[in-house]
Amino acid sequence: MGLVNLRKIRRAKQEIGGREVAVVISPRPEQTRLGTTVWQTFKSLLTGMKITISYLFRPSTVVTQQYPENRETLQMFDRYRAQLKLVYDEAGGRLCNCCQICENACPNQSIKIEWTKNPDTKKKELERWIWRMDSCTFCNACVQACPSNSITFGNEFESAVYDRRLLVYTLNDKAGPDAKVWSAIEDPAEREKLMRKMDRYSGPIPLSGTSLPGNPSGKEG
Amino acid sequence: MTAFSSFLFNYLNGVTANVYEPVSVATRAAEVWAHEPWLAIGWLALGMAVMLGFLVVIGMGLIYGERKIAGHFQCRLGPMRVGWHGLLQVIADTLKLLVKEDVVPAKADKVLHVLAPVLAIMATLLALAIVPATPWFQLIDVNIGVIYVTAVGSIGVLGVLIGGWSSNNKWSLLGAMRAGAQIISYEVSATLALLIIVLFAGSLQLSTIVESQADGWWIWRSHLAGIVAFFTFLIASTAELNRTPFDLPEGESELTAGFHTEYSGMRFAFFFLAEFINMFVASAIAATLFLGGWMPFQIAGLDGFNAVMQAIPPGVWFAVKTGGLIFLLMWFRWTFPRLRIDQLMGLEWKFLLPVGFVNLLFAAVLILMGWYFAPIPA
Repeated sequence: MGLVNLRKIRRAKQEIGGREVAVVISPRPEQTRLGTTVWQTFKSLLTGMKITISYLFRPSTVVTQQYPENRETLQMFDRYRAQLKLVYDEAGGRLCNCCQICENACPNQSIKIEWTKNPDTKKKELERWIWRMDSCTFCNACVQACPSNSITFGNEFESAVYDRRLLVYTLNDKAGPDAKVWSAIEDPAEREKLMRKMDRYSGPIPLSGTSLPGNPSGKEG
Repeated sequence: MTAFSSFLFNYLNGVTANVYEPVSVATRAAEVWAHEPWLAIGWLALGMAVMLGFLVVIGMGLIYGERKIAGHFQCRLGPMRVGWHGLLQVIADTLKLLVKEDVVPAKADKVLHVLAPVLAIMATLLALAIVPATPWFQLIDVNIGVIYVTAVGSIGVLGVLIGGWSSNNKWSLLGAMRAGAQIISYEVSATLALLIIVLFAGSLQLSTIVESQADGWWIWRSHLAGIVAFFTFLIASTAELNRTPFDLPEGESELTAGFHTEYSGMRFAFFFLAEFINMFVASAIAATLFLGGWMPFQIAGLDGFNAVMQAIPPGVWFAVKTGGLIFLLMWFRWTFPRLRIDQLMGLEWKFLLPVGFVNLLFAAVLILMGWYFAPIPA
């Protein structure tokens, strides 16, 4: 019978296709004597049993979260992808400069960025950053494609709604220039003048075409 | 009814004085049948009621325990919502199964489809009846107990085979065939292991085997033979129970649910309950034969220690031993990966069976030479 000697498993670097790649090298199963096989079998089974019994007697290893009850103290995970967010700098300037690389990177057109060109500064100004959560697969391609790290996935996972049209919304609450223009202006009052308020659901709603109740400005997209 | 009250008096006296009088319920019923038939019927009714209670309580307890223990083995919590720490979850599930629609596939063999779960639970009930839980309460105590246990255990596989065949489903049939091959193979090893204790105790009757362990359990007294036989029996009975690491008949990742894919509602509950009660029966038989059943732990010479051990009621001893073995089976299930079918067959025919035969020969030599500890006073 063949057994893999676990002690001989090691990490190494190997050149694959002209690149140094980190690999794990596992030896071939060795032919062992019957006694060794039986001994190794029972030893490895006992090792596994030791690990599981240590979980049983240590309640601290439990990872289950009692969600509705511990809503206040719920611990989420950094890598969890719940809702797409725009990133802002310390001054409050939006990092996104409307380059639309994320829009091209999106595999199913879940992102649409509407922008206008400011005739004075000859710069793009963001109008709407529309995210279709209903068709998004949370593949993270947009976040990886973004050259200025201006979008990220947050932890706010309670995103259930009663109307699926509410899943298509505008991420930015203010339309206007990006952080480069914004942060160059010292006076906060002057900065605010550049921005227009943008509400969440007034953009194009590309579903059934009817306007949302209580939101007459919703138009077909 | 005077007989009953006098029995009750004697029974209570026996409990306080720790004097055991092992008479099974079936024997009591047979004794009084000639002159007091109503009392005999009463005894039988009592036996059936106790069986039903046992079945339900043990089934529910084991299912809850398994789910909780499995949860913590896997860093989860298990049921937490219904009742305190999910205590009422099993009752909720049972109610759900009771009112669930009972679906029989259109092209199934209807008669066999209905018969299969009944056979499975019948085998379980018959095996449960012979378990000597306490000295004063055993339902039936036949003089060929060990043979009875293995024979009745084989009816269960019939239920599985019929269930798989009658469902008219590929997964079910594959699961049933696997179950058949597996249980028939492993029964050989399990019986060989039981045979060693039969050799040592010199009897097939379970109550006699328990009494033969008054001075020490067979697992200690028979040198290495008992320990090897115990582990052989443990492995073989895990395989017979279709539990992980031998759960190929169910193999949910390959066969949906194996032989009970097409079962729902109460019929599925029968299979499920039979599986859990079988686990109890296998643990109880292992405890009875190898760990002394309800006999307390005794060390020859230490009288004070022995007296303390004897003060613990035999029912508690039995429950602790059986419970420990059940826990061991659960521990196996939630730790080990599933075997491949050829590995399963290889383990039985190439390893367990030769070990069982050598062990049997070794035990026979030990007995011929009288080389085991603390021989029973004749």
